[in-house]
Amino acid sequence: MRITCPYCGARGLEEFTYRGDATVTRPSSIDARATEAWVDYVYLRDNPAGLHKEFWQHSAGCRAWLEVARDTTTHEIVAVELAAKER
Amino acid sequence: MSDLQSVSALDGMLVSGRHGSPDGDAGVTLTERADLGLATLEVRRWQGAALDESVRTSYGVGLPSAPTCVEGKDVRFIGVAPGQWFAVSEALPNEMLADDLASKLRGKASVADHSSGRAVVRLEGSAVRSVLSKGLAIDLDPRVFVDGAAAVTSIGHMGVLIWRDTEAFDLAVFRSFAGSFCAWIEDASAEFGLDVVTRS
Repeated sequence: MRITCPYCGARGLEEFTYRGDATVTRPSSIDARATEAWVDYVYLRDNPAGLHKEFWQHSAGCRAWLEVARDTTTHEIVAVELAAKER
Repeated sequence: MSDLQSVSALDGMLVSGRHGSPDGDAGVTLTERADLGLATLEVRRWQGAALDESVRTSYGVGLPSAPTCVEGKDVRFIGVAPGQWFAVSEALPNEMLADDLASKLRGKASVADHSSGRAVVRLEGSAVRSVLSKGLAIDLDPRVFVDGAAAVTSIGHMGVLIWRDTEAFDLAVFRSFAGSFCAWIEDASAEFGLDVVTRS
């Protein structure tokens, strides 16, 4: 599998580290009533067969975090963008 | 306070002269690049335009937004990541480069001195691409990796920053990898013959 880093270009999988599901959103509240949202955020994951959004880090290259759209059944990479949108 | 003496990361790691195949001209020449000024700079939040302006004023060149080199006054800036650059200088040796950058770019970029943290070697010669391609998983074709191109990647699990300067390739590795890295180069270039030029 090769990932095309938006900064460095196409590189082999060995340069990247998987950093988890990019579809979950951190709850903004730390209120006790938000416990269920936190359980969802920390523990519960979908396991989709097909298109999925994931965080990958180009750890042996530019070290940027990437948001990668990948098909989990074919490993086809559909889209890659930097996770940090502005700087 | 006692003065610290800078010692090249490659000190004692290289034996000058011919290595590997003794037939004909050496396919690869390795030259130690010691006493370079090396530093990283990373843009501060929302300071991208201001940093670029300051670098233009002080060094006469704009910072690259891609993994390429630009040659400014006394300093070469190499794009290594979004908002991060590696600076290399002969005119401002050792920590003088980081001091110079930090004073001129105050508030716009965070500067870190790397001059004692990295080993830099220059590889050139007719077989240089054949040697590098044994360890690098990037396209070194001269039409793709053009003059001034740069890449952060790895050779034999050792992190390496490589950039092309006309027909030569400069490679920077973290200091503690200097010995292993030189051993790798000696092995990879043995079939072509290797000339080693040390500073002394």
